[in-house]
Amino acid sequence: MVDSKKLQDKARETLVRDDVRRLIGWKRGTYGYEAAPTVIKDASDAEALIFDPTCVQNLASFLTLEEKLPVPRGAEPDTRKVAVMVKGCDSRAIVQHLLEKAYGRDDVIVLGIPCRGVIDRRKAEKLFGDVATPVEVKEEGDKLVLEIGGEVKTVDRKDILMDKCLRCRYPNPLVSDFLLDEEVEKFADDDFADVDEFEKQSPADKWAHWEEQFGKCIRCYSCRNVCPMCYCVECIVTKLRPQWTRRSTDISENTAYHIQRAWHLAGRCIECMECQRVCPVDIPIMTLNRKLTRDVKELFDYEPGVDTEAQPLLASYNPQDPEEYIM
Amino acid sequence: MSEDAKSEEFEPNIVAFLCNWCSYAGADLAGTSRMHYLPNVRIIRVMCSGRVNPLFLVNALQQGADGVLISGCHPGDCHYLEGNYYARRRFMLMHKLLEHVGVDPGRVNMSWVSASEGAKFGDVIEESVTKAKEAGPMDQFRRRRINW
Repeated sequence: MVDSKKLQDKARETLVRDDVRRLIGWKRGTYGYEAAPTVIKDASDAEALIFDPTCVQNLASFLTLEEKLPVPRGAEPDTRKVAVMVKGCDSRAIVQHLLEKAYGRDDVIVLGIPCRGVIDRRKAEKLFGDVATPVEVKEEGDKLVLEIGGEVKTVDRKDILMDKCLRCRYPNPLVSDFLLDEEVEKFADDDFADVDEFEKQSPADKWAHWEEQFGKCIRCYSCRNVCPMCYCVECIVTKLRPQWTRRSTDISENTAYHIQRAWHLAGRCIECMECQRVCPVDIPIMTLNRKLTRDVKELFDYEPGVDTEAQPLLASYNPQDPEEYIM
Repeated sequence: MSEDAKSEEFEPNIVAFLCNWCSYAGADLAGTSRMHYLPNVRIIRVMCSGRVNPLFLVNALQQGADGVLISGCHPGDCHYLEGNYYARRRFMLMHKLLEHVGVDPGRVNMSWVSASEGAKFGDVIEESVTKAKEAGPMDQFRRRRINW
């Protein structure tokens, strides 16, 4: 578990540097099982920073959100760096950003945090109900100790961690300038059993499942907004000419939207599961992404967000690519 | 209605994206050599199979197509040297994604047809139509109100 003193000291040390503009980290949330992301510009605010299993958000998403305003004539553009705290899974988003040249390696300072899993709000609410006060969590071996409104509850890791953590392959950051803790041992692996299970169904059953799920979608675009890989300046779902999806929330447009979203993440999704976490109507969005991740791995032996020197999957080809379905 | 009666009545619409240099010329050859091929196909000419955005398929299926066909030059023969290699990757993944959502895999077809393969073009169309007939009318996420 990360020592919060060490974390805050490192943040202060980073923020007082002349070439650092701001730092993105987590602070205690105002209620419930999730911490809140925070942007800090002044070293004196660093004492709010924390890291514990409530820090679910992928802060790499914020790096590409900043609006790039035109620089006034005669003024120099602000080229100072942004520091960001990342868990193992979030660091893959940074690797993928670097691969896609969203920004340069010199533009960010990555404070890596080896992580042993974060809490799933939905699972926690099922176990302990809704809470109006912020929950504090401590790690004790294979158990998590939650302090909920003065009461102390102990729970097994596997009952409360997010699904992505139960199959986490990269607990340690793949890219980082400073590690804020000792590296942890890899504790889980991913066999895509859930995808295989879903694949066994007939097309009609699959569609019945998705018709129900997509039918719920209210097209709030939270999944797109929170995604670290969805950083196009102009997104095709909001574009009017050509208009790829109409704005009505019927089954046809919803399906088209979800196919588009998943498709645009083919070979890019780093499985931080933010899309599914923020969904207000609980659509299992990650199932689509995981299907593509699995296929990309099987068909093209490619894994996004691991190697900054790799070619983007769909901007490269191999003459020996599989083509079994082509007539 | 029995399965046979349904497939007898149903004539699927196939939208075909043909590359200008090979498949479109192949279709042309089929026409000029007076070969018969099924009339279910609506051809859209594109300059290269690599130009076809996989979202075209989704859009076609939304707007009333029962099947989609993408056809380009054989690997290595692309007029633009590598366009069909990119297309092959993309449509492989899109095919899998649509299958996962529940679209019958027979609705999405891809083929390599060169300018001299008029007969193969006819066969490809026939196979696409047969598969689309087996899959039945596309009513999963077709737009209910086209002119809304």
